[in-house]
Amino acid sequence: MELNLAVRAFELLLGFSLALQCIEYLRIPALDRVNDWAILRSEIPERPRGVRALLDVLLTARNYRVLIVLRLALAIGLMSGGLGLAGSLLLFAIALVLLLRWRGAFNGGSDFMTLVGLTGLLIAHLAGTFKGMDFGWRAGLWYITLQSLTSYFMSGWVKLLHASWRSGRALPQFLDTGIYGPLPSNSLYRQPWLARTISWTFTVWEGLFPLALLDVRLAALFCAVASVFHFLVFRFFGLNRFFWAWMTTYPAILWCAGQPMS
Amino acid sequence: MTAFTLITLVLVGVYFMWLAFFGLRRHRHLVQGPWLFFFRAFFPNWKFYHAAGKAPRLYVRAQGPYGVWGDWQRVYARMPWRAGHVLHNPVVNLALNHQNLVDHLWSDVQDLPEGGDIRERATYQLVTRLAHEAVRGGHWGDVPMLPAASPDAPHFQFELRMDALLENERVPASSELVLQSPVLATWN
Repeated sequence: MELNLAVRAFELLLGFSLALQCIEYLRIPALDRVNDWAILRSEIPERPRGVRALLDVLLTARNYRVLIVLRLALAIGLMSGGLGLAGSLLLFAIALVLLLRWRGAFNGGSDFMTLVGLTGLLIAHLAGTFKGMDFGWRAGLWYITLQSLTSYFMSGWVKLLHASWRSGRALPQFLDTGIYGPLPSNSLYRQPWLARTISWTFTVWEGLFPLALLDVRLAALFCAVASVFHFLVFRFFGLNRFFWAWMTTYPAILWCAGQPMS
Repeated sequence: MTAFTLITLVLVGVYFMWLAFFGLRRHRHLVQGPWLFFFRAFFPNWKFYHAAGKAPRLYVRAQGPYGVWGDWQRVYARMPWRAGHVLHNPVVNLALNHQNLVDHLWSDVQDLPEGGDIRERATYQLVTRLAHEAVRGGHWGDVPMLPAASPDAPHFQFELRMDALLENERVPASSELVLQSPVLATWN
């Protein structure tokens, strides 16, 4: 994959993922009567002084909305390919404010991977400012790739260390907890042999994901399976943001996989 | 293969070897401190759904007009699936965020220092609001938080329990009480 193509695909996917998140963020205040900033602010450390006061200003209902609309506009700018260093810095800064607004994460891992994408974008523009954009994007894409591969590697092997995953018992238990669950009592996933087969297949595939770097065709296969995997996670657990956040990293993986042997 | 390529591959290999030997070990509270808590997204452990067994769950009950307490009911979101949710899913994401609060309250109870008061924690106060919202007939989108809410209840109470993920007839195989709130007055 050419560097320019990888960068364009990454910008489009990250921008799209951010835009979807923003549209959800704009809807949430009308739905949520629990996450009250008056309570949340008490957790913000008093030092350095002024941070809490600044957040009080930034996170009034109106200003929070303005912040999200600004983030949406930047996401669209990113998709159009016209976002430079200033825009990347602004997106990164808004991400930090959102981490503080939502106790470190609104939606767990998807926020973490979104931050990986934004950090990669910032690395690309910062490094690019000093050493040229080619160098900047290489650094940014490698950062994103290593983080994405690490996420699969850790997620796979940590499961294989647990007897409940090796035996397949964990799979129907977790699927039963899914927001679109529980599984029907006669679900095929309750068959021990099938649960064991699926568990081993996905956990070994996750654990071996770093091998994607050896060949771009292998990387394409790993990423294709990953897309199906994340869609299934969405199907059972409702984690739509995970689907898009991880998809964002695939252009970087495909580009990096094309590098070592060239 | 050039020397640069070889060095890159070796470095990547060493990194994943290091992860295998160090990163996979259990580290409780590797990231500590309030700022690090807020910015833990910079140090993700990527351990999703790894340990089956038990999980924290919120239960609530409401007092009726004659002082009679209703049954304990679990506050746990179940939604109908829609393919379009892959593009826009605020209700489900909010419900998942609420369950995260319950998980974090459990974590705060475990970490409470000797003589500490859990009621001072933001998680306790937020979960109190969640319990209140459920009792008073709150919804996640179109889905009620409870099968039987009590919008006029003068008082309510909540419990944090560790439920077994394994269920028989939709009832957890085990359920351990972790925390019981005092009787709380409802508010408008």
